[in-house]
Amino acid sequence: MENQNTKIVVNGLKVVLGKKTILENIHFDVKDGEFLSILGPSGCGKTTILRCLIGLLNPTGGTIVKDGTDITKLGPSKRGMGIVFQNYALFENMSVLKNVEYALRLDKSRKAESRKIAMEMLQVVGLADHAKKRPSRLSGGQQQRVAIARTLALNPDVILFDEPMSALDVDTRMILRQELKDLQKKFGTTMIYITHDQEEAFAMSDRIMVMDNGVIHQIDTPENIIKNPADDYVRRFVVHNLQLKIDSLSRFSTANAKGDDSAQ
Amino acid sequence: MIRDKSNYVKILLSVFFVVCVILPLIRMFANIDAASYHAVVDHPLFGTAVGNSLKAASLATLISVGLALMLSFCLARSNMRLKNMFKVVLTLPMLIPSISHGWGLTLLLGNNGILTKWLGLSEGIHGLTGIVMGSVMYSFPIAFLMLADVMGYEDASPYEAADVLGIGKVRQFTGITLPYLSKPLISVVFSVFTMVITDYGVPMMIGGNYRTLPIMMYEEIIGMGEFGKGSIYGIILLMPAVAAFIIDLLKKEQSRSNFVNKAIKPRKNVVRDMVCYLLCALMCLVVIFPIAAFVLLTVVKRYPLDMTLTLDHIEKTFNMDGGTFLVNSLIVSFAVAVIGTAVAYLCAYCTARTHGPLSRALHLVSITSMAIPGLVLGLSYVLFFKGSFLYGTLAILILVNSMHFFASPYLMIYNSFNIINKNLEDVGATLNISRPRILLNVLVPQTKDTLVEMMSYFFVNSMMTISAVSFLANRNTRQLSLMIRQFEGGRLMECAAFVSLMILCVNLLVKTTVYILKKVLKKNKAR
Repeated sequence: MENQNTKIVVNGLKVVLGKKTILENIHFDVKDGEFLSILGPSGCGKTTILRCLIGLLNPTGGTIVKDGTDITKLGPSKRGMGIVFQNYALFENMSVLKNVEYALRLDKSRKAESRKIAMEMLQVVGLADHAKKRPSRLSGGQQQRVAIARTLALNPDVILFDEPMSALDVDTRMILRQELKDLQKKFGTTMIYITHDQEEAFAMSDRIMVMDNGVIHQIDTPENIIKNPADDYVRRFVVHNLQLKIDSLSRFSTANAKGDDSAQ
Repeated sequence: MIRDKSNYVKILLSVFFVVCVILPLIRMFANIDAASYHAVVDHPLFGTAVGNSLKAASLATLISVGLALMLSFCLARSNMRLKNMFKVVLTLPMLIPSISHGWGLTLLLGNNGILTKWLGLSEGIHGLTGIVMGSVMYSFPIAFLMLADVMGYEDASPYEAADVLGIGKVRQFTGITLPYLSKPLISVVFSVFTMVITDYGVPMMIGGNYRTLPIMMYEEIIGMGEFGKGSIYGIILLMPAVAAFIIDLLKKEQSRSNFVNKAIKPRKNVVRDMVCYLLCALMCLVVIFPIAAFVLLTVVKRYPLDMTLTLDHIEKTFNMDGGTFLVNSLIVSFAVAVIGTAVAYLCAYCTARTHGPLSRALHLVSITSMAIPGLVLGLSYVLFFKGSFLYGTLAILILVNSMHFFASPYLMIYNSFNIINKNLEDVGATLNISRPRILLNVLVPQTKDTLVEMMSYFFVNSMMTISAVSFLANRNTRQLSLMIRQFEGGRLMECAAFVSLMILCVNLLVKTTVYILKKVLKKNKAR
């Protein structure tokens, strides 16, 4: 990780909505090609960070620098980033192919090859056979893949994920996790991934940023967070909760092993 | 900085509302003076009119809502046959003006009425009974439609839980059904009461000497050109409507949206189904009677003396400019359907799909038209626009109707927008798809059926309204609905009946077209 260039630097980010301070003095950076998870409970400010990064929300203070350029005041479409939402946000009146193709057709430089790119992206996410269907006829996991293909089609170098798997069942999540990692490897895209699921964050991330109440408690690799939790909150919310899951799984595997023994 | 361009649209719409609703109302308030106030309040008939209005409106509301409750219960909680047909027939009266209800009742139960003679009654039902009956006919379909909707969406789970716990049917009704219905019921009661107390059509036709406030207002303005006194009546009529509006608003703030988990499936019960069927059939008969009377009067020479079939009355109506008035009505209704829908759509887009204090303010102004009775809006327009280039044209009728009927279609599309994915515009912003493109290429295609429903609402109501347009229409711009009064006054009973029938037919045609169109859209959506 040390050799990688810095992709994004967030410096002193502050967001005040109405009279409420949501974020204050947020500093962090993201390396090129890194998978960074932002982990925290609901309402901790993680989505607010994401909305500032993509440009859907103007921060009250601070700067966001990408590839050495200050992008704090740039429009969302000019930042070279894409976003995938929890609720897919697909265009229900269009076919799967049109969903992926629509933004490309509006871009003069890519209009001519829009159909080709869209089909390629659908192939990448394994949905080429479903190109003509309406999104409502696909499963949740498939719909999320369409949303990912739509984002990938514009070739962003950073993709933000806002709890993209919260609405999916466990099996689909497992499969999609692996697919996301594969995509990252294939395209070399930097990914910033929001989740409240410790296991998900630990399974996928190069680094994890643990947040609560608008404050960053720790940013580090999964191993370091387990070994050296920065404070009590990290110990409780991350390490302890994760330990509980591991314990219950190990009990299950012990029981399973005993079952196997007695069967023999 | 990311600037929200929708703010310009919101400001433009706000200015539009200020000019088309707020300023005319202020002008009406400014028209009040002490002399007019005393002339109205000290008038010997004023107290009687207030009492009469309250009495008639309360009675009509009680009966109308009671009937609606009973019949919507039949529809939602039985397995009777022909449910859809009953729903269509029972809402037919929504397609004709209040004045036609009064007229239909006069034909049936007036001093020389068809039923009065059949039943051998000594005299007709002119007066309080007539007003109450006519007002029930006029307001029942609205109450029925609102309640049938609420009951149709009730969740079955609490009843299943109660069954498991062994709670009896009566306790289930008082403990689950009534609390569920209480809030919508308040809404229905206020809507019906406001609608009845501000109507002049029914009392004008069958009220006899029983004077109500809207009649007094109508006579002051149309009969004597007393706009000062008219304004006092206007403000009095505004009061119950504003009260109803505020209560409805407060109630909505408190209520949370709930989602249906499971539709209620009534158990098998032949007796209950039979009773429900009979009740609905009986009410359908009551609804059909006046319409049948219109048909009868239109097609026979002189009921009951000469029953030869004829087209004379139709020809006569057209000879007396009926065709011109029909065209006027069609032009106005069509324009209101297009312009009203466009403005309401844009307005709801701003309030439901963009954020900020302006959105909330615009939302409040948009639903305010619900609190302004047509007569009051009409009078405000007369006072505010008199002397302007709009006055005396079809354009002012289009404008006043668009504003008068604005709230309901606005709320239809506002609710539709609210259930569409909230992140579409955000995704659009990141993919460089502009808001107007998202609106035209994503939101419009997804709300086609609501758009059709909105247009139909504006059209049908403009076609049959007699309230806001009554003070604004002149000899050249007169609407078909206003001809009923004129023909009745000229003792051309058959022509008046035919005009009511024409309005019904046009509206029925529009409704049928909408029904077919929505079916086609649904089919395409499912593909």
